Amino acid sequence: MKKITTIILSIFLLAFPAKADEGGIKFVQELANNIIDNVLTANISEDEKLKIFQDRFKKDLDTKTIGRQVASDYWKKASKEDQDAFLEAFLDFTTKSWADKFNLYTGQKINFTGIRPAKSNQFFVISEVQNNPPVEVLWRVKKVGATYKITDIVIEGVSMIASYRNEYRSFLHQNGGKLSTLTSELKTRSSTFKFTKKAQ
Amino acid sequence: MFKNTLFALTCVSFLLTGCATKPVTPEEIRAYEEANDPIEPFNRAMFATNMLLDTAILKPLAKGYRAITPSPIRTGISNVFDNIKQPGYLLNSLLQGEGEQAWHISQRFLANTFLGLGGLFDVASDMNIPVHTNDFGQTLAAWGWHTSEPYIVWPILGPSNPRDTIGTAFSTALTSAELSVIHEPSVRYGIVALDAIQSREENIEFLESLKNSSTDFYATVRSMYRQNREKKINSVINTNNTEASTSAYDFDFDEE
Repeated sequence: MKKITTIILSIFLLAFPAKADEGGIKFVQELANNIIDNVLTANISEDEKLKIFQDRFKKDLDTKTIGRQVASDYWKKASKEDQDAFLEAFLDFTTKSWADKFNLYTGQKINFTGIRPAKSNQFFVISEVQNNPPVEVLWRVKKVGATYKITDIVIEGVSMIASYRNEYRSFLHQNGGKLSTLTSELKTRSSTFKFTKKAQ
Repeated sequence: MFKNTLFALTCVSFLLTGCATKPVTPEEIRAYEEANDPIEPFNRAMFATNMLLDTAILKPLAKGYRAITPSPIRTGISNVFDNIKQPGYLLNSLLQGEGEQAWHISQRFLANTFLGLGGLFDVASDMNIPVHTNDFGQTLAAWGWHTSEPYIVWPILGPSNPRDTIGTAFSTALTSAELSVIHEPSVRYGIVALDAIQSREENIEFLESLKNSSTDFYATVRSMYRQNREKKINSVINTNNTEASTSAYDFDFDEE
């Protein structure tokens, strides 16, 4: 009887990989709603939008994990100082370029439809942006203590991490293979960042 | 000419693939799969040509189109083009054995054609009829052609691979057959050009933003095309296997 109970319990736990996932959905929903209400649809200047967006994502992104993945094998070859400098430049520039892309949002509804387990003890929160056709957005989430962190965003099968990793690997391959070169490039681009103007 | 070029590309790709060092560690395998691009010099040249053509011709036309066409009319035109493509999606659903999807596409086409005034209004979406966009590249995948290398960038047509090149040729032939009911060639070419311009108009800002944020735009587009294509291909070959269908983006994280 005990064995059967264990099996049933295991199946139940496998079907719902972690109780924490419910909290994970709430975390992502709150993040998305907060960005929509306080940034994307708010009547504030672009500078203010950028600041709120960056502050929020800097808090909720698992920067170190993401940074390691996108720098791929170049990460291990770099010094601790170069790694730290890369993480800082990457986070600053990425949140700016994301703010720019999120700024193209035109009021579509986002539905959160469930969760799916992911490798490395993480999970995907599944959402769908109401469009024609609908756009699937997966938020890869990792539980860190009592809170959650975003580790990747996958839009219609396109992983943010895989895209950056491929792009940066190609850039580094053509530019001497030093992580510090990529860091300088990101800093330069970050310093000249401007929101994309909507064509009339 | 086209056949000769394709043959030459295939030979070069086989030669280069044969010379490449085999990856061993998971990190090397992932790197190899993501960047596997044996005809990269040719592809980069085609990509640069396409970017030039876009900057000089297509993007200005798309901006001009936006400037002179009010938003509701653009939406109507976009809906009409979407509706014209439904018979192709229907045929591919049937070839893939996707009966339920074929039924949805039929409903969508009939609703938009008759209630939506020839596709001008998307009443099917208001009726919550699901959207399916099945192409012939996916059909070939459903029939067993799962992976297709090398990555190829065609002039004007853009990113592809051998399987999806055949898929695009098939779709083009199908569209030509549909448009053959129009006797005046200039009208037919005009419709094809308008489809390209309105598609570009819908992506003016997104492509601008992507280009500005990329340190290697060619690599970014290659990666995004491949990942998105893999999702579409997996959706027809792994319909009952979640792990296989998410394998492209559900990778192990390398942590300390």
